Amino acid sequence: MTNLSSKLRQSTAAAVLALSATVFAGNAFAKDLTITVWAGGSNDSDVYRLDAIEMAADLLTREWEIRGEDLNITVEKKRDFAGWSEFKQAVTLAAEAGTAPNIVVTSHLDIAPWSQAGLIVPVEDYVDLDAWPLNNIYDNLMEITTYNGVVYGLPQDAESRPFFFWKDTMKKLGYSDEEIAALPAKVEAGEYTLQNVLEDAKKAVDMELVEKGYGFYPRVSNGPDYAQFYQSFGGELMDKESGKLILDKQAMTDFYQFFVDAVEAGVTRKNHIGTEWDQWYSEVASGKAAIWHGGTWHYARYTTKEGLDDFFGNIEFSLIPAGNENGRANTITHPLAYLLTAQEDEEAVEITAQLLKIASEPRINTLHAIKSAHLGIAKEQSNIELYANDRWAAEATKRLLPHANAQPNNPNYGQFSEIMFKGLETAWTGTKSPAEAVAEVEAEMQAVLGDDLIVR
Amino acid sequence: MRRAHLLGLGFMAPALLIVCLFFLAPVIMTAVFSFTNMSSGTGISGGAYEVTEKTVRRLPEHGFPEAKAEMLAQDVYRIDPAGLTALGAGYGKALADEVGKSLSGKTFNGRRDLERALKKMKARPRSIREIKVAADLFKRSVLNTRYETEDAFVAAITDLDLKLDTSERALLSKVAYTGWTWTTENYELIATLPSTLRAAANTLTYVGFTLAFNVGFGLFLALATFYLPGAQAATFRAIWILPRILPPVIYIMMWKWLTWDTGFISSFLSNFDVTPRNWMLHSDINAWVSIVLINGFVGASLGMILFSSALRAIPSSMLYASEVDGASRLQQIWYIILPQLRWPILFTTAYQTLSLLTSFDYIYLSTDGGPGSSTEVWALYTFHTALNNYGGALQYGLGAALALVLVVIGIAASLVYLRLFNFDKLVAKPRIEQ
Repeated sequence: MTNLSSKLRQSTAAAVLALSATVFAGNAFAKDLTITVWAGGSNDSDVYRLDAIEMAADLLTREWEIRGEDLNITVEKKRDFAGWSEFKQAVTLAAEAGTAPNIVVTSHLDIAPWSQAGLIVPVEDYVDLDAWPLNNIYDNLMEITTYNGVVYGLPQDAESRPFFFWKDTMKKLGYSDEEIAALPAKVEAGEYTLQNVLEDAKKAVDMELVEKGYGFYPRVSNGPDYAQFYQSFGGELMDKESGKLILDKQAMTDFYQFFVDAVEAGVTRKNHIGTEWDQWYSEVASGKAAIWHGGTWHYARYTTKEGLDDFFGNIEFSLIPAGNENGRANTITHPLAYLLTAQEDEEAVEITAQLLKIASEPRINTLHAIKSAHLGIAKEQSNIELYANDRWAAEATKRLLPHANAQPNNPNYGQFSEIMFKGLETAWTGTKSPAEAVAEVEAEMQAVLGDDLIVR
Repeated sequence: MRRAHLLGLGFMAPALLIVCLFFLAPVIMTAVFSFTNMSSGTGISGGAYEVTEKTVRRLPEHGFPEAKAEMLAQDVYRIDPAGLTALGAGYGKALADEVGKSLSGKTFNGRRDLERALKKMKARPRSIREIKVAADLFKRSVLNTRYETEDAFVAAITDLDLKLDTSERALLSKVAYTGWTWTTENYELIATLPSTLRAAANTLTYVGFTLAFNVGFGLFLALATFYLPGAQAATFRAIWILPRILPPVIYIMMWKWLTWDTGFISSFLSNFDVTPRNWMLHSDINAWVSIVLINGFVGASLGMILFSSALRAIPSSMLYASEVDGASRLQQIWYIILPQLRWPILFTTAYQTLSLLTSFDYIYLSTDGGPGSSTEVWALYTFHTALNNYGGALQYGLGAALALVLVVIGIAASLVYLRLFNFDKLVAKPRIEQ
């Protein structure tokens, strides 16, 4: 099998070489390249994840032209994947079949497994991290795209995942304008906790300000958001010393219990998971829910597609509140990264890396940041008018990012988070009690993660 | 005789080829995969040898001397004569001389520092990539270098002069290997994981109820339409065949419209003061009823066609004769029709058991195993494990083992159906033949 495929590859390579030799016999410096970029979890407002590569290709071609060399880059863009699962499946299987795209825009969490499997190559082998524009990228973001001390990817955007309050409902619950404005600070100080969230949400339902099940309206599918609630109750994801993942049974039980309590109090629907995203967005953007949580990029969706004209007049946002005295108010940032896949043609990888470098220019990245309501990656972006004049970017950066942490780069984290979410689902839907669900989570994690897990 | 054999073989060849390509080969590959720990982290095509921070942390846990592990953790670049010679050969004597003059004997911790030093050289290569490649000529450690073969790795380790004994070297190779290895762990996991046990129970529920519905309702439809006048019967059959011919995605979408909080059932029931809810996902029971009905209507229409055609094969004289003898409809069905339908029923039962065991498409599209994995059947669990989950942690090895279990159960079930199905007990002997 290997022999056959390597022969096939050799013969294809020979054919391509022969072809390029005949086409470019007249021009020794001509280089024709097709660069494929696949982006996961990207909708209409995220087009600059792909378009930035096209802009970079245009710039690089001009640079080569000035040097007297002829470079033609065709960028093939793809982002119409059904969801993250389908995207990751597509990338992994394409890479195994030897047809991986040149660039993938994906979660930083993929760095650990994909680097171990040799699907991606370190970007630090191709670009100068000491030079512009990479030396301007925030250090903590670069750390998130680093695994085992090697910089594998370049941060593509930053974000964070806040709690949202519908102001009108809060006012009817008895909060004054000043009290609502002070909420984010109270959340940060740990004075307004998830227990208060439950109380307020219940009041909103009891006073019929919102329908039953709309007091607290969480994310409808698995995602980094749920690790935030684990942290709210004192859970830690990774042991810094040993790099192992941590299952804190008490924190996990409390975290599950919170959602069970929410269902019992009638503020969250029992069958909430699996709600259609379109329905969810239109409901939260129209005040149908009292309190909910989401991501900084939701701002773009609420204010464009969902037609919410006055975001700041209607919505207050804060960190995810602490759950109890063990935990803290927190938020998770889950930056996407540009990753270089392993390719046979070394020169193509080098040129691709140049494209990533240029696409990280503050001005180009700002287009993405503002259009999609993500946060910037580089310090200089605050000196770019488009970014500096955007109220959302400025306030969200200030209020959320200093408290943000990322999920750990560990090859087994995907399984960890999958098991954690399944456990949550069984407790939430009433299939099991929180304690039983945690016991099952423990058994599954110990069997699957083995000595990469610490149980507390 | 021989020629006839050959001719027979010739006619069979395409079928044999298809069986080998599309059944045997996948089963064999699945069996092989199931004895590995292949995942998206190990890759399929094979691994490499790499010492990383993680390897260094893991080594002492396996009994590797800590001091030696720490030496492996160092990322050393040394400007020595060997490196300078290589630099001269690759990038010209001028650069080698310049580096030798200013940096000779120096040691750098990590490539980035050396890169910075090289960037100050007048004769440096103009591309950053080449500076990095040049810097790598001075690397005197193995940290974060990927070696494609064990020989290359062992050679590199030997160059480090760590004074490892044979067992330590073997241990190092084992821990540093990034690819998949042979293991029987998958089967142990299947036997112990709570989620596989649940998937098995779910599969039993799913196959049992859906099969009963498929065969029972298919039979009912066939019999009911059999006694209707021709045109009406054809109309009803055409309506009941719809679930089968609709594309699955559209069929499921219609079910979702029917069962959503804002869907038909909820809107209708709100007239009677029933609080709207999602009739597909509200509880385990709701989900199971939906799953059985969704799959059941599809399967029932197939049963209906098969049973209807079998019914037509029953000589009408028998039915007339029974009516003359004063048999009621039920007696006709019980004593004349059912006994003659035994083979279609056996076939439908056997065929549907096997296809239900391995099918998950309608479940995937409707509940996706929810709420809380309560409708996640074995086949869907296999698909989620091996190919489709949010974190992208695809476990090909475990998935293959799960799939193989299904293949074994499928083969066993076919044998049971073929050999042990005691049909005499199911239906009485036709009176007319006695």
